[in-house]
Amino acid sequence: MDVLIQIVASGLTLGAMYAVATIGLSLVYGSLNMLNMAHGAILTLGGYICYAAIVHAGLHPALALLAAALVCALVGLLIYFSAALPLLRAENFETNIFIATIGIGSVIENLMLKGFGPYPIPQPLAVGGQVVIGNVHVPLQNVFILGVAIVLMVAVAILLQRTSTGRAIRATSMNREAAQLMGVRVGRVYAQVLALSGALAAVSGIMISSIATLTPVMGGDPMLKAFIVCVVAGLGNVYGAVIAAIALGLLEAATQYVLGVRWSFATLLLLVILVLIWRPYGLFGKQQVVRL
Amino acid sequence: MKSVRRDILIGLVCLALAIALPIAMPGRYVITQSTLFFIWAIVVVQWNLVLGISGIFSLAQMALFATGAYATAMLGFYWKVPMLAAIPTAGVITVAVGMLIGLACLRLRGPYVALLTLAIAQVMYVLIVNDTDCFTTVGGCMPLFGGVRGIGQFGDIGLRALFPSKWYVAHYYVGLALLAVAVTISIVVIRGPLGLAFRALRDNPGYAMSRGISRFKYQLWIFAVSAFFTGIAGGFYAIHFRVVGPTVFSFSTLLFLIAMIVIGGLGSIWGPLLGAAVLMLADEGMRELSDYRNIGLGLLLAVFVIAWPNGLNGLNGWLQRSRASRD
Repeated sequence: MDVLIQIVASGLTLGAMYAVATIGLSLVYGSLNMLNMAHGAILTLGGYICYAAIVHAGLHPALALLAAALVCALVGLLIYFSAALPLLRAENFETNIFIATIGIGSVIENLMLKGFGPYPIPQPLAVGGQVVIGNVHVPLQNVFILGVAIVLMVAVAILLQRTSTGRAIRATSMNREAAQLMGVRVGRVYAQVLALSGALAAVSGIMISSIATLTPVMGGDPMLKAFIVCVVAGLGNVYGAVIAAIALGLLEAATQYVLGVRWSFATLLLLVILVLIWRPYGLFGKQQVVRL
Repeated sequence: MKSVRRDILIGLVCLALAIALPIAMPGRYVITQSTLFFIWAIVVVQWNLVLGISGIFSLAQMALFATGAYATAMLGFYWKVPMLAAIPTAGVITVAVGMLIGLACLRLRGPYVALLTLAIAQVMYVLIVNDTDCFTTVGGCMPLFGGVRGIGQFGDIGLRALFPSKWYVAHYYVGLALLAVAVTISIVVIRGPLGLAFRALRDNPGYAMSRGISRFKYQLWIFAVSAFFTGIAGGFYAIHFRVVGPTVFSFSTLLFLIAMIVIGGLGSIWGPLLGAAVLMLADEGMRELSDYRNIGLGLLLAVFVIAWPNGLNGLNGWLQRSRASRD
């Protein structure tokens, strides 16, 4: 029983972090058909900005979180204007933006390496203490992360379902041309989505670094996992992504316990390979019929 | 026929220059760096067949390269297979792995293929690096795949023994010969009926398939063809450096090679070679500023994709067109 509580507690935390990282990726893919390979670097940047704001600028942690989200939203905008906008006009957008964001991600990552050094730094935004459930001590930090993630997910859901901006985003991801014909300013939607995705990446970067540590390369692993979640759920399916993220988080915690840490990532990847071969459009994705 | 003649001409000129290089610049550093260039050029030329010609967005090429290198090293280390037999065997093993990956990617398209192949490469890396159980204790504890430290002491093709002081020149010519064969194969594939089928499937899959071009058959073909020489290049890499470690999976190598293809010109015959040469030279130039190397690489990659998606090779075509319009 205690083991089960332990697995569920750490699995939910993992799942919540993945979900926040994934929503952004999924939104961007849904509306632009863009796989943002710079997402991991933006996520790391968020963690470092938060660290710098607290330690060097002496800001209040809440303000630091806001600052990190803002900076990363700006980076998202910058990627839109410098890469996505010019590439959207040319052919082969999906392939080219993938390669371009690999380049951008490498630039951001190495700039952080230059600025903050290669050594791991602890994230100052952390909550001490723990709660006891049964015989299991769950760190308050995990509860905090779960809380923030739920608040963020509810906020994103309200944004998507209840506001006109959200309606425009949903319309664009359903059918770009039709949305454009109905007067949705598609360019503005793209910019908003990329900025939102940057801000969400920043928050998830802060969460992840508060459990592990800050290093310039820490973004790669959560990004790959976020991609796995996206793919398992079906690229562009935001609600499916949240479910898949939490399921994968629980699965990861369980495999870590049963098979050992060594196999957890490999099991996840094996799962994604099988899912892709079995359902190439993802578990919750709709099969797209291509008319010629 | 004109374009084939031009390809042969360019190829022969490059080959002659490359043969003359060790005589003109006998420095050891230049020769070894050029050998490394040959190895990367082989991989890039084969990768271009998958990525550029058939338009399958596979990132598995470095995993295939690693398969070739590891297969060579393990055949030599565990079964004491002589290297001259181990390298071709590794090539065949790589073909099998490449075809498996091709099969797995068959139903996917575009970015899903990129993610799946990236995931496959990452699984291989994680499994090798996290493996700490001793498989053998000959000369200290070693995991099955060598773990973090990699595999060494698996033999040699004998050129070091044959030319004790000039072995690196011998390796240079071996690399050059392999590259020449790899480029010839790629020209044959691109200019021949296979290439026509690949391009048809890339440009209009529906029409191509309704004309009876089997996507299944040709996708497996392209993965098999490009895997073979990538595996051989991996084997040669293993022999040249005498050790194979998980660094071959590193993301910066992948970045370096994909930048070569993109900067040279995706889908062209000479573009990837040109890109490989330009980037190797640029890398030498940036050696002084080693910290900025990956920043420079990333910037180059992004700028080229955004501003010149056809790469340096496209620039050449643009020059020709503008000259033709002036005449």
